[in-house]
Amino acid sequence: MSDTESPSEASAHEHHEHHHDVEGPGYATPQAAVEQSEREKVAYVMSLYVGTDVDAPDFLAVVDVDPESDTYAEVIDRVEMPNVGDELHHFGWNACSSSCHVEGLERRHLIVPGNRSSRLHVVDTKNRENPEMVKTIEPEEVHDHDLSAPHTVHCIPDGEILVSMLGDADGDLPGGFLELNDDFEVVGRWDAPGDIEKNYDFWYQPRQNVMVSSEWAAPKVYQPGFDMADVEAGNYGHQLHFWDWENREVVQTVDLGEEGMIPLEVRFLHTPESTHGFVNAALSSNIFHFWEDRESGEYRAEKVVDFEAREHPDWDMPVPALPTDILLSMDDRYLFGGNWLHGELYMYDVSDPKNPRRADTLSVGGLFGDVQELGGRDIVGGPQMIQLSLDGERLYWTTSLYSTWDNTFFPEEAEKGSVMLKADVNPRKGTMTLDEEFMVDFGEMPNGPARAHEMRWPDGDCTSDVWQ
Amino acid sequence: MTEYEVELVWEGAEKADREANIATREDETVLEAAERADLGLPFGCRIGHCGSCTGRLLTGDLEHARRPLALKDRHLDDGYVLLCIAEPRADCRIRVGVDVQRELVSNPWK
Ligand code: FES
Repeated sequence: MSDTESPSEASAHEHHEHHHDVEGPGYATPQAAVEQSEREKVAYVMSLYVGTDVDAPDFLAVVDVDPESDTYAEVIDRVEMPNVGDELHHFGWNACSSSCHVEGLERRHLIVPGNRSSRLHVVDTKNRENPEMVKTIEPEEVHDHDLSAPHTVHCIPDGEILVSMLGDADGDLPGGFLELNDDFEVVGRWDAPGDIEKNYDFWYQPRQNVMVSSEWAAPKVYQPGFDMADVEAGNYGHQLHFWDWENREVVQTVDLGEEGMIPLEVRFLHTPESTHGFVNAALSSNIFHFWEDRESGEYRAEKVVDFEAREHPDWDMPVPALPTDILLSMDDRYLFGGNWLHGELYMYDVSDPKNPRRADTLSVGGLFGDVQELGGRDIVGGPQMIQLSLDGERLYWTTSLYSTWDNTFFPEEAEKGSVMLKADVNPRKGTMTLDEEFMVDFGEMPNGPARAHEMRWPDGDCTSDVWQ
Repeated sequence: MTEYEVELVWEGAEKADREANIATREDETVLEAAERADLGLPFGCRIGHCGSCTGRLLTGDLEHARRPLALKDRHLDDGYVLLCIAEPRADCRIRVGVDVQRELVSNPWK
């Protein structure tokens, strides 16, 4: 496959070795996920009280996203954590399409980490509308492996689970990876301590024997809040690490430099043939494309999207866009993302990944959004975590980034709570339209206004599924 | 057994001022003593790296039982303390609540 070959051409090669007579979780190919998936009916949403006056545990919200239902756009169940103060953030499934050859394995358990507490929760979603907490792994057990601050959860083939950990047992550097087995027991540390210093998100592409990981900062740096002194002191990340997936070691580190400060979400294309991917450098407000140069066998990264800072009458300095999340549609045609401070969603056609073409934007929330109110309530904060339906026709987002960072940039989020919103996407035309009828108000929760962060679908999603 | 009196003071912009008195036992952190008295103080990591439990020492003396990584020198100089690892060494008066944590950083562009 040439560097710029389109994903649809690539998926036509179809030389993967799945045994389709075996019923494992997920879909045989990304295209099968697009074609065979049913419309999402519930969303699981990380919901939290950290950094607000509400003294109650964070919870997993079950949101009804079925328009046929009487409780459409409402939180229909809440699974409360056993402790307060966890800061639920990202979470993931025990199994995805990477295990679709493993008979008997089900996509059924959610691993829900507390980013501050280092506690891991396991939630059983057998009953999709009323999931149940079945297990917790206490912080001490995590600290025993000299790790803290769990972040991204990916299942790895055969039922094992890998979690990126941002700190050591003190909340300092280096971070690493924690491995769990299919009984949700801690197996131990996956990587060699010190192979990386900073950690954040990761994605693996098993057919290419590669994993990529990105960098935020030490827990002691980002958890208390965003402090420019830490940027000046070099405490924030700007590198990507490419790993030998089988051997679990870093084989190449790419420094993104000044333009690549705080590279967050790393997304390989879904097609398992591809070695192309994207990462959003949040602080520098850029998106980078990375790919393997087939001649040298080395990875390269290049800035392909640059968001300009904007003047705001109430701010002394131009306001950076802060693109905090991106994702790729299941067919790898579009890259979506949100500029949290500005209040903008964007959609790029990345059929040619070296040359993303802006397809559409939506101006909503944040400091500059055209739409600042919906259903009679203010939207506080711009689009932050995003999630796309498997068929690529509905984009959802929430508005909270991280409790302490919310409190600095959008302090009203603590009093009013987050919202979950939706846009209808037309993939053929490359357009997005705000669905003004859809608003989930996390300001109206029984214990008080809550923040809302990452979202997942019971049948897998564009930010978790990997193919072998 | 050494016991110290600790006065906790909530002064937020939004809420009415409130105070409570607790006593800490030997080797007990302020957070643990508050929990024993059924008072909800914010916390996250409980080992000094996240800053959720930040308070500000108004009078008295206390020691951090491990390194207060969430606080920089400028915070320590200003009397900010991490209540999850702070053990009183004298009677203390401490400002508590989520608002204290918010003072550690400010918006650099505004
Ligand atoms: S609870 Fe994290 S620093 Fe005290």
